[in-house]
Amino acid sequence: MEGNIIIQVKNLCKNFGSLHVLNDISAEFKEKQVVSIIGPSGGGKSTFLRCLNLLEMPTSGHVIFNGTDLCSKNVDINKERQKIGMVFQHFNLFNNMNVMKNLTVAPKRINGKSQEEAEEMAITFLKRMGLEDKVSSYPSQLSGGQKQRIAIVRSLMMEPDLMLFDEPTSALDPEMIGEVLDVIKQLALDGMTMLIVTHEMRFAREVSDRILFLDGGRIDEDRSADEFFDDPHSPRLISFLQKVL
Amino acid sequence: MGFFEQIIVIIQRYYPYFLDGVKNTLIIAAMSVVLGVVFGTLMAVMRMCRIKPLRWLATAYIEFIRGTPLMVQLMFIFYGLPMVGIEFPDVSFIPNFSRFMAGIVAMSMNSCAYVAEVIRSGIQAVDEGQMEAARSIGFKYGESMRLVILPQAIKNILPALGNEFVTVIKESSIVSVIGISDLMYGTSGVIALTYRSLPCLAIAACMYFILTFLSSRLIALLEKRMKHGR
Repeated sequence: MEGNIIIQVKNLCKNFGSLHVLNDISAEFKEKQVVSIIGPSGGGKSTFLRCLNLLEMPTSGHVIFNGTDLCSKNVDINKERQKIGMVFQHFNLFNNMNVMKNLTVAPKRINGKSQEEAEEMAITFLKRMGLEDKVSSYPSQLSGGQKQRIAIVRSLMMEPDLMLFDEPTSALDPEMIGEVLDVIKQLALDGMTMLIVTHEMRFAREVSDRILFLDGGRIDEDRSADEFFDDPHSPRLISFLQKVL
Repeated sequence: MGFFEQIIVIIQRYYPYFLDGVKNTLIIAAMSVVLGVVFGTLMAVMRMCRIKPLRWLATAYIEFIRGTPLMVQLMFIFYGLPMVGIEFPDVSFIPNFSRFMAGIVAMSMNSCAYVAEVIRSGIQAVDEGQMEAARSIGFKYGESMRLVILPQAIKNILPALGNEFVTVIKESSIVSVIGISDLMYGTSGVIALTYRSLPCLAIAACMYFILTFLSSRLIALLEKRMKHGR
């Protein structure tokens, strides 16, 4: 893959008390790359992702996003986060706002978009997802799959340079997983740079350029998608794949 | 004369005592809740803030107030403060102003601690993911609070605040021991005049009940409207 490095992780460590969740992780991610992160639960996948936009403060190490070290003290993290979209396992739509407000509140307040501009953009996205009839619904009136697709749109509204997905389908009923994965696949085709923590192996292989295997707080394997499944090296990955495939 | 006839006679002759008491009870309760909410909010913010000494101070205050009887706190304010030279001024046009102030100060200091806990738990009951989502999209902490967390927390807080108001109405009966002419004080006066304690207490109980029942209905109504308005 060609392209500039969009986010670079150097010697990242994260401890929760005496628990070492991430042990000295270094990696680089390039523009327009789709990278999946796979591994057993407790392996540090989510923590790794949450360190990239500093939802978790790394214990030590550096996260360099578009040339800016997010861990340095004089960085305005709020400004940097605007360019890093994040999609959560539990959607986390703002429960006190309807769909339109969920989508437009940040572009209006942060990016200074006008009401009309923001609404027009939201409608365009919603139409593409076939959700335009939900504009005035509240999150409690939506299905899990609808919520997650709206949450993805909410991130896209900020026109991010990078999207992080933290197990986007793990809280969904099986029949709704497909509709969310389709949206992510479409994003990949559109050239969005994405890091996806997932348990959906087939999807990971299909959508990713590259897959990381994270276990025990370390990157145990870092390969192209096909090699990752067809020719795994690490014994931990081999036994993991045997269990899940 | 039967019990109910006694009640009727007492009401006919002495109703101004009771009405005056109700008025003062309501004034004290309302003032205490308003001040309690203002300072309770402040206390809740202190308790959740990042500056450790402030947090400790707020926690210590809340725990201490909740762990000691209101009666003791009231006596402390009314008898104790003047001894160290802090006195509430007398205002000529409001009779007994300094007593009244002592009562309101004690009640609101007490209410403040409970309100602080109501607010804190109301905020902390909002799902953590809401804050994470707001922060990850680029909102500052304060904006996230104002736009996302507080509007949701208020729905948890308001009903509990209503309960607090009802509690304060009842608990305020204690200020009669320092001679504030609230409903309980008025009742004691009528008992002293008539030597009929049971009917007088029955009247007082009914009036307290009417006050609390009306307030809780009113609050329930408010809650319902909040729900529809989202």
